[in-house]
Amino acid sequence: MTDGDRLTRPLTKEPGTKQGDDSGPSTPTIRKPEGGNELLRRMKKVDPDQAKKYRQRSGQ
Amino acid sequence: MRKILAGIETEYGLLVEGYGADSQIDHSMALVRGYPGECHFGWDYQYESPRADLRGFRLERLAFDPVDAQFDAGRTYGEAHEIRSDRVLPNGARFYNDHGHPEYATPECLSIFELAKHDCAGQIVVMRAAKAFEKELGVPVHIYKNNTDYHGASYGTHEGYLVPRSVGFERLFKGLLPMMVTRQVLVGAGCVGDGSSKQPSYQLSQRADYLVEPANAETLYRRPIFNTRDEAHSEPKDWMRLHVICGDANMISSATARKVGLMKLAIALTEAEFAPIWEFKDPVRAFQAISHDLSFDFKVELKGRSWTNAYEILESYFAAAERLLDLDDEMKWVIDSSRQLLQDLRTNFSQFKREVDWAAKYAMYTDYIASESTDWRDPQLRAFDLEYHNADPEEGLHAALEQMGEVSPNPVQSDLLAALEGVEEPTRAYARGLAVSRFNDRLKGVCWRTLTFDIGGKPVEVDLMPNFEYPPQLAEAEDVETFISMLRGIQ
Repeated sequence: MTDGDRLTRPLTKEPGTKQGDDSGPSTPTIRKPEGGNELLRRMKKVDPDQAKKYRQRSGQ
Repeated sequence: MRKILAGIETEYGLLVEGYGADSQIDHSMALVRGYPGECHFGWDYQYESPRADLRGFRLERLAFDPVDAQFDAGRTYGEAHEIRSDRVLPNGARFYNDHGHPEYATPECLSIFELAKHDCAGQIVVMRAAKAFEKELGVPVHIYKNNTDYHGASYGTHEGYLVPRSVGFERLFKGLLPMMVTRQVLVGAGCVGDGSSKQPSYQLSQRADYLVEPANAETLYRRPIFNTRDEAHSEPKDWMRLHVICGDANMISSATARKVGLMKLAIALTEAEFAPIWEFKDPVRAFQAISHDLSFDFKVELKGRSWTNAYEILESYFAAAERLLDLDDEMKWVIDSSRQLLQDLRTNFSQFKREVDWAAKYAMYTDYIASESTDWRDPQLRAFDLEYHNADPEEGLHAALEQMGEVSPNPVQSDLLAALEGVEEPTRAYARGLAVSRFNDRLKGVCWRTLTFDIGGKPVEVDLMPNFEYPPQLAEAEDVETFISMLRGIQ
């Protein structure tokens, strides 16, 4: 993330949307989070390597 | 429909900055031991039997993750009770170290919403201990309520349900397996990639890639969909504890309630011999296929070369329950809200993602992918995925979404704090909690099933029958002898 406004910018595509007939479940239209910027503020603070350095013992 | 007693035990992820998994047991022990709240020290293990199998035999040994064995090379940790460092809280909950993970086991609850509240309150307990440990150690300590480390290790969020022994394994397995396989559509926590970090993708379940068999008694390695561990936590002639290990840790409390409610519906139908019959060609493959299906068709192959999908399977439970069970308001909520969500998944995802963790995350990540012109291989996504589950409300991404009103709200803080002081329902957890808060100096042993007191220098054990109603008058007992007498008088 480099720009605080990017997450509220209109999407150019809807990932996962596929074409098909109306006979079965269809992939939904996905809308972005709206509202304040607390999520963006926290996302910016996330260390990109946090998951990489996250190693755990197996539990049950 | 019978009120089904249930509990949730969550093993939390623990990251101490500057340290690795080889220090995790020492750190988890120290964290639990430093819990600053009122509690009883110790646990009575005499009734535990992790190698007993519901199918009527006993394993010689439980499988152990070989990677963990490497962490332990040349190390000793002391006796089992020292390692576990058990604490019992005034609400009847158990807080301890389980294989290097701080684990909060809720008090037993009858209401799915009470249970979801206690599951949420557990985060406060673990965070209080983590903050105290952080202060002592002098380095940041992070706590995650999730089930994967993205490097091949998983740790559990287990549900326990009190079920009559007479139902038996075969009937339970057939009646519950289709629900276990499909409920992830409504209550999966979501995961970036697979468990081994090799595949750049997204899936609904955090546990799917760690399941390798339809049924067995293992939990640490070679995990099954249906766990057959037979620890009754009550009189085994009458009861069994159904140990569900294939579910995820939910951050959205309504999802926790729905997760438990769906399983209760399936248990009730199974007890009544009304559970829908679905026979998968390969249950593990079906579980994983649903988890990885981002078309949201959720097709699964059945025996006999036929196919169905998760929508039809879930609806079959709802229809059967409505037709054949006497449903209370909570179970009606489970059915109505689940049906609505299955509809929303196909037509109104903005509403769906408010109630379902995997969907809240999926919407967040697909937005990020679009805005940053990146893809699922971006390591930032996995970092976000971890931080969604950060149990610190000041840091976690789920907590941010909740603060913004983007996901359904969890119970308010005052209710969560009250839940740490005691339980509202007349379950045996009420008696256990009272024993801790009123008579801790005389309490010599605690477990799910019994309390043991020191009376005149001799141990006196009292059974806590799981199906009894424990009256509020217990709180008025003036001394421990009266308390014991009142407990023994409950029928």
